[in-house]
Amino acid sequence: MSKWKLPSFITRHVLMALVIGGIAGIGFMLFLIEFDELTSSEAFCTTCHSMEIAAETYRSSTHYNPVSGVRASCGDCHVSEGVVAATWDHFLGGKDLLTQISGKLFGPDYDDPVINTLHLPEAAFAAREWFKARDSATCKRCHVLEAIQGKRADTNTIHREETQGKSCIDCHINLVHRKVPDEQTFKRERWLQMVEEEFGLEPGGAQRLLAE
Amino acid sequence: MSPSQVRRFLLGILICCTPELFAAKVSVDPSEWGDPLGKECISCHEKSSSGLTKQWRQSAHAEAGVNCLDCHKASVDDNDAITHEGQVIATIVSPLDCSRCHTVEYEQQKGSVHSEAVGIIENRLPALAGHVGGDAIVAAGCDQCHGSKVEVRIDGSLDPRTWPNSGIGRINPDGSKGSCSSCHGKHRFSKAQAREPSACIRCHSGPDSPDKAIYEASKHGMQFEAHRDEMALESDNWVAGKDYVAAPTCVTCHMGAAGKLKANHDVGMRNAWSLNTPVSMRQQLVVFEDGEKIELPESHSPPRRGSEISKADGSMGKVKAVASPKRRRQAMKLVCLECHSKAFTESFMNQFDEVVRLFNEKFGIPAKRIMQTLYSEGLLTPAPFDEPIEFIYWELWHDEGARARHGASMASANHTWWEGMYLVGRNFYSRFLPQLERIAGEEKANALIQAYVTSNDHHQWLEQPQKSNPILGYDVKRQADE
Repeated sequence: MSKWKLPSFITRHVLMALVIGGIAGIGFMLFLIEFDELTSSEAFCTTCHSMEIAAETYRSSTHYNPVSGVRASCGDCHVSEGVVAATWDHFLGGKDLLTQISGKLFGPDYDDPVINTLHLPEAAFAAREWFKARDSATCKRCHVLEAIQGKRADTNTIHREETQGKSCIDCHINLVHRKVPDEQTFKRERWLQMVEEEFGLEPGGAQRLLAE
Repeated sequence: MSPSQVRRFLLGILICCTPELFAAKVSVDPSEWGDPLGKECISCHEKSSSGLTKQWRQSAHAEAGVNCLDCHKASVDDNDAITHEGQVIATIVSPLDCSRCHTVEYEQQKGSVHSEAVGIIENRLPALAGHVGGDAIVAAGCDQCHGSKVEVRIDGSLDPRTWPNSGIGRINPDGSKGSCSSCHGKHRFSKAQAREPSACIRCHSGPDSPDKAIYEASKHGMQFEAHRDEMALESDNWVAGKDYVAAPTCVTCHMGAAGKLKANHDVGMRNAWSLNTPVSMRQQLVVFEDGEKIELPESHSPPRRGSEISKADGSMGKVKAVASPKRRRQAMKLVCLECHSKAFTESFMNQFDEVVRLFNEKFGIPAKRIMQTLYSEGLLTPAPFDEPIEFIYWELWHDEGARARHGASMASANHTWWEGMYLVGRNFYSRFLPQLERIAGEEKANALIQAYVTSNDHHQWLEQPQKSNPILGYDVKRQADE
């Protein structure tokens, strides 16, 4: 008999439960990792038509077609690193899915490019808040502050010396998706007017759709 | 005082007391500038845009503690406001922004031929830039001098078809018209640079406003070149006849202080004539209560102060002051009198006026009447520039005619004649009239020529084809003698 004796409450059943539970846990973690991976892809995100609208501008951005060939997928920017954080972000993202589905049933329908564009500013402001709250963590997955060279001679110096207390998103907005002004200087009337012109709505039509 | 001195004195008082001809020194309390938040911009911008920060460091602004934010700050409601590093700013510093401190200059340039430079060509643009040129020309050509109507895109950025632009009549997102940096190059805003003729010739060169070449060819330009080190261009006070006497520059005569005459940022104030029109007119300047201005022909009875007349945009405005062509000429002559005698000045102006009248009577009016007839009788299509005579007519007054008139106004003999009126004459006799015959047929052309040309004393020589001259190698008299 070994000197190390299992405590008496570890019965065979408990041991089996632990093993099975452990394997199931590992399996679940593996599932989450795979799930997060899969659900971070452009292909998955754009299964919702409303996301296809966002993807259009993304596909003409430098984050989709950089000279380096390093392509950032939806999740690379919009889903945090680490399985817990990534899962949590997907959980939060579930709200969008619910909005999408309920919108289909009760309106507003985000698949409609007009509705989508009308509500885009709020989405952009929320996304910027999200980046800000995480200190632009997803940017830093690829971008290393000290290594940023830029086109101008002093870009590197600026990033090393002038960024204390600032986060990437503070300066770098409107890189990928349709451009929306900063919330502070955003002008709703102009945005509505733009939507009316772009989609041929009668004057005041955008305001009415937004109120619905 | 002799009677003439008394008259001059009284005239001086009259002109100096008119607000439109008067410029006060800028005085704003220094507590109004030097925004503490604006001191932080430099640290980054000396790296990102080192050239312009260095220029700012050399400026009187920097010396006085005026920083980036003092000029670039905006309100969140501004059309072109953007958030930048936590501050609400605008890229464009409009004349209205400059007027936070430079109020007097802003009020003076408001409504001037400079600040209204877009309106002057607005009607012509579709024909010239649209038909003859193209949209690319509007942005990179026309608008660069006259000014663009700056469009702000939805994200707050400036539409590249309308920006960058420092045209002098630029229509800014805040609604103000003009661009101070058109003459006062940013970010140094050097007094000396703006006083140099080169500040003007960025636009006042080329066929329709060949003032660079004219000035350089004039005695004034000659003196400036030879004695530019005596021009006191950096001086705080720059009164012709007092702070410098070597030569006048463009600014001296058109805007500058001279003797009792105060400086004024309305560049057209001292212009008695319109020189860039098909027919020149002596013009009276009407100033409205709101600072806007219009030019009326001298023939129009002067509007009374306080009366309401229609403004350039068609709306009604209350008349604040009227400057007659005579008074405007008197203001201009005050500059001349700092160096020239009264008789000299009067005679020079007379020579100039005679050239303008000659152009009007001999070419401007006849050509205009003939063109009007061709259009009204359907001999020309209404579309401009689809028929050769339209180019010929356009160049007659817009290029060659303008050159002759500008040449006479600023004393370049060569531009008055060879580059100017000679070309007008050659164009009129050897292109315009032959084209007229092609378009209208011999009979109709002869009738028009009889009505507008040969009945005019200036063209009487056409009726004497036998009167010879040896200039081209044939002289009837000499042939007969031999």
